[in-house]
Amino acid sequence: MSPSADFLGRDVVSARDFKRDQFEQLLHGVEDLEKRKGSLDGALKGKLAALLFFEPSTRTYSSFQIAAEKLGMRVSGFAGPTGSSITKGETLHDTLRMFEGYGADVFVIRHSKMGAARFAAEISDTPVISAGDGSREHPTQAMVDLYAIHKAFGRIDGLKVGMLGDLRYGRTSSSLAYALSNFDVDITFIAPDALQMRPEVTQLLKQRGVTPKKESALKSVAGSLDVLYVTRIQKERIPDPTEYERVKGMYEVNLEALRDSKPSLKVLHPLPRVDELSTEIDETNYAQYFVQAAGGLPLRMVLLNLILGGAS
Amino acid sequence: MPDESERMLVSRIEEGTVIDHIPDWRANTVSRVLRMDKLARMQADVSVAILQNVTSKSFGRKDIVKIDKWHVDEKDADILCLVFPNITVNYIDEGKVSKYEPKVPDTIEGRIRCPELNCISNTEREPVLPRFNTLKKERLLQCHYCDALLAFDSVPEYVRT
Repeated sequence: MSPSADFLGRDVVSARDFKRDQFEQLLHGVEDLEKRKGSLDGALKGKLAALLFFEPSTRTYSSFQIAAEKLGMRVSGFAGPTGSSITKGETLHDTLRMFEGYGADVFVIRHSKMGAARFAAEISDTPVISAGDGSREHPTQAMVDLYAIHKAFGRIDGLKVGMLGDLRYGRTSSSLAYALSNFDVDITFIAPDALQMRPEVTQLLKQRGVTPKKESALKSVAGSLDVLYVTRIQKERIPDPTEYERVKGMYEVNLEALRDSKPSLKVLHPLPRVDELSTEIDETNYAQYFVQAAGGLPLRMVLLNLILGGAS
Repeated sequence: MPDESERMLVSRIEEGTVIDHIPDWRANTVSRVLRMDKLARMQADVSVAILQNVTSKSFGRKDIVKIDKWHVDEKDADILCLVFPNITVNYIDEGKVSKYEPKVPDTIEGRIRCPELNCISNTEREPVLPRFNTLKKERLLQCHYCDALLAFDSVPEYVRT
């Protein structure tokens, strides 16, 4: 795949900034890499990736680290605030300046503050990739999720997608909703009222001609879905403990909850899971989440390669 | 031509700003948006007359704010018009009146804080100013950084002091 003007030097701060053909370009790039394994190895030799994780992360950090290393990049930075200058109170602004001085070719940033990635992109000429900021967005996870759907169905158009769990504070859900809004899909948000999708997300979806449905229980829609995207409801997000106990069972995905589902249904989950997704799904045809997780590495390789203009 | 009740209460000003056609009993919100408390902190030589519930030919009742020896910033007047779309602003220089028609701006920077406490623009030590884009049809502001929405009517609660 050749370097693309759509990606060269660009920032990745929100899934809402990407258009359909750009997502498709990425998906085809990952498909190609999976067919021609090793074809991008060493493509960015000599470049430096600064992985600045102001919030701890294992999975996303590792996948970016391995992706960069397979591309031949040198990797610097930190996987969490502990032990870094962040605990001494260094700002995002100053940290970026410092790593710019060290010659970083790309920043991969995770931060607890919402909008941190956009701010970083504004103050730095070096491309910034968000690895999640606050509870708003996680754009590269949405790209991974989109690829998992594409891989399962060979298309995204025409699918009925249910997104379940903590949609209000779950950063992967909003990014995926933005990404899906570029396609002809039917979206249903399944969550208790307190955790329903944020208004700005539904607002943008409507502007793009996608009117999401809202449901409070999986049971009422399970039979119609092609894709079920599961996220965890965190106890601390629901102020009333009795309300949490009441609702949590309604959002647990197990064989019983999927009794009326289509045999072709695919269940996705950004992982890690706790008890919202039963292990009894693992060995069924519904389970797409391990395929989804495995897509994280090639997708991030393709993305880095497109942004930094590596070898085709 | 001022209404009778207004003429009874306050004399003409030679230099300053008159904000007219404020909905009745809402003048305090105007003070808040214009951050008039800072005038007191600055110990500025400014007098403010707030007229409430005066009669108006076209509005029935309205409020008026007259500020002697202070020109309200046009950008602040524009923010006022998010909340009160019908207000009129008159600047007075040496007794001559010139009208300013406030307009809903496309972007607002530095004057309103984001309603999302965890937004990067609410982080004290980062060199970042809050910035909003306006969604005029929906009467909403959207944070440039975190996308949070703020209704025009809620703007006075979030004016930066």
